[in-house]
Amino acid sequence: MRLKVRRENGDCTAAHSVRCSEGLSPFSPPRYDTFELSPPPGATVLSLLFEARDRFDDSLAFRYSCRGAVCGSCAMLINKVPRLACRTQVDALLGGQKDVSLKPYPAIEDGESWNPVEEVLVEPLPHLPVQKDLAVDMTKFYRFLQAVQPVLRPAAGAVEREYRMEPSAVRELERYTNCILCGACYGACPVCGENPEYLGPAALAQLYRFHIDPREARGPAPLSAEENRTFAHPSRLALADQANGWWACRFYTNCHTVCPKGVPPNLAIGHARQELESRSPHPRPLPEGEGRGEGGPTSAGT
Amino acid sequence: MPLHAHDIVIIGGGLAGLRAAIAAHDAGRDVAILSKVHPLRSHSVAAQGGINAALGNAPGGEHDRWQDHAFDTVKGSDYLADQDAVEILCSEAPAAVFELEHMGTVFSRLEDGRIAQRPFGGAGFPRTCYAADRTGHNLLHTLYQQLAARGVRVYEEFFVTSLATDDGRCTGCVALDIATGELHGFAAGAILLATGGYGRLYARSTNAVINTGDGAALAYGAGALLEDMEFVQFHPTTLYGTNILISEGARGEGGILVNSRGERFMRDYAAKAMELAPRDIVARAIQTEIDAGRGFDGGYVLLDLTHLGSDKINERLPGIRQIAMDFAGVDPIEKTIPVQPGQHYSMGGVATDNDGRTSLPGLYAAGECACVSVHGANRLGGNSLLETVVFGRRTGEAMSRSASVRVHPCPSLDAQLVTERARVDRLLARTGGSRVAPIRQELQAAMFRDFGIFREERQMRRGLDTLAGLREESRSVGLSSRETRYNFGLVAALELQAMTMIAEPVALGALAREESRGSHSRTDFPARDDVRFLRHTMARLVNNKTMLDQKPVTITHYPVKERTY
Repeated sequence: MRLKVRRENGDCTAAHSVRCSEGLSPFSPPRYDTFELSPPPGATVLSLLFEARDRFDDSLAFRYSCRGAVCGSCAMLINKVPRLACRTQVDALLGGQKDVSLKPYPAIEDGESWNPVEEVLVEPLPHLPVQKDLAVDMTKFYRFLQAVQPVLRPAAGAVEREYRMEPSAVRELERYTNCILCGACYGACPVCGENPEYLGPAALAQLYRFHIDPREARGPAPLSAEENRTFAHPSRLALADQANGWWACRFYTNCHTVCPKGVPPNLAIGHARQELESRSPHPRPLPEGEGRGEGGPTSAGT
Repeated sequence: MPLHAHDIVIIGGGLAGLRAAIAAHDAGRDVAILSKVHPLRSHSVAAQGGINAALGNAPGGEHDRWQDHAFDTVKGSDYLADQDAVEILCSEAPAAVFELEHMGTVFSRLEDGRIAQRPFGGAGFPRTCYAADRTGHNLLHTLYQQLAARGVRVYEEFFVTSLATDDGRCTGCVALDIATGELHGFAAGAILLATGGYGRLYARSTNAVINTGDGAALAYGAGALLEDMEFVQFHPTTLYGTNILISEGARGEGGILVNSRGERFMRDYAAKAMELAPRDIVARAIQTEIDAGRGFDGGYVLLDLTHLGSDKINERLPGIRQIAMDFAGVDPIEKTIPVQPGQHYSMGGVATDNDGRTSLPGLYAAGECACVSVHGANRLGGNSLLETVVFGRRTGEAMSRSASVRVHPCPSLDAQLVTERARVDRLLARTGGSRVAPIRQELQAAMFRDFGIFREERQMRRGLDTLAGLREESRSVGLSSRETRYNFGLVAALELQAMTMIAEPVALGALAREESRGSHSRTDFPARDDVRFLRHTMARLVNNKTMLDQKPVTITHYPVKERTY
């Protein structure tokens, strides 16, 4: 079989003073390299990348760590689907099994073609700048995450032991705490491609996770002065009550489809919008020219 | 070459490093984390089963006390753990778990809303608090959230190549910025190694690919003592084929092990504890079954969860189910999981006192890369996460208290930068030479074969010859690219040099310890020998050679006894 990898040198002149003496120049256009490999049964796309690097080209850049689908390092575009390289079985791709079906968007429609019976096509995760080859700059992804202030602010009056939590509340929270922040959803969301300032599915799901945490401070001003400085808004949901937040989603549900952990950001967003609308039914700041999406929040289910 | 200065530099962004950073930041110190991966990608994220604390929450565990936890830990360690350190670990455990809960971790709950606890190997009570089977993931994300909220500086994808010392004190380090290929110098009042274990010295490891023992190698190269390096834990149940971990929680929830004859063979090895005997005992039992021809082709036995039912599996072991389906094509609700023992944990590491101080002033260590020692010859499941947060915090606080921890001049740093630049440039310039990957694979195969679950003198001597050759060969590896930006091949070469360096104390420690204790099982010395070896093995690098010594074990309240389950 053949592994076809998009190679790109990104912008290595920015931010650092770098010696770009070897390999691709920063200004050369991206290219596709093809590696002839004979993977053993059970090989994953990540193991193909290791083989290509170890045998042929040490400069092939991709991120990795756990190789067990829990660290979130290796999200990339594989046969035009954002997914974890370590979790993607080569046999399944070449065997012509029906692949994941996504609502189309430019990053997966355009570009290089490949022969799905003999080749696996690997490209960097869309919607984030390429640093080199398959390594993308996640700075923006993390910035949007921090924008939703993802840290628990528990109610005042410290408890000595644990906060009591209903098992059902834990089950609801787990749907969102299972997120591994791999960014696959960000690369799969058509809105993220159109609107670079959209907070994106992962950050919104995290925001919702804290919103529904029963340990969170509720009601009027239980926070210390310092906490009030740290957290701009008493209400979690208000943090994303803006055109680039909850209201930008159009419920394509690609986020949930590609999530390696089954997290449903679309549900979180739907619930948040319903709650905001029921709280204050004045018109919401939808992005210009947009409707409420295909059926709106009520059809956000899976 | 860029220079930086911080009061405290922490190398590694897993649980121990993050907890120490939070402690140091809260104590008003200027602290920075250097990590070769983004902190969220650290191996802590892969811990599954849970974290031990004698909370007494679970039915049947009401009478659990931290002293019981300490006893189980000491016995589990085959009496090699230092009992004063174990008492710190266990007495501080409940507060550590409550703190994590208050920081935001979503632990699984009992019906009454308290934190749920499950039985684990070698534990007298159900003591292991958990977040389904994704406990490490939940803890790491919680601590990262806390770190990010504090605005602690993180140098992501910086690989530390060496430490700088002045007048016998660690004063800084040199790190490769993987993105640019530049070397940076860091001056620091104190440096913490929190780099995880050396599991990837071995084939068949559950560990992340990044666990190459960098911290132990940095300390060793700088002259600090390593302790008990020969104690390497083999986890009984790793997925056949990929050796991804199948949590002990699977047995804690009632999973059983069967051989190819359909026999529940653990009754022959630990009649009382059965599948919940400590890991060293279960791993040896499985390997013995396989070696006796009662395993399956390829060398595995079966872990059966089918009788637990889909509800329990989906609620308590969803991650295990997903791993088995993704990586072995097996749904454990319907079918048995093929498992074999695999390397899992490094009990040994950089020798520290109970506040993380190493033998080199200014240098600290915490978490799996350290050896306090709370695990002795065998770690109990659920104690590693606990160690990271208890000793991470203690070490962060101790560093912050130390009056000498101020950024102060690091005269050797400039010279160190020049030396390291030359070393990296030599690697980049050598486009011929041996390739990294085959040497790494041979090293891993040799360690598993010759210093694995069962050990014997002749085999180990052969292994030592192999290691010496590989160490030599690793000095002359060549790369296929001279590119400086994101040259992960260069990182792999530097990691390989570290790995071959610390393989030696592991191997020599195993050869010198002529007894069987915990994870260290000598077929030629099958009995424990307390007269000669109720001692820690201490290794020091002198003139590029490993010198071994011994240190007594601290005994407080738990007399040394025979260990049966």
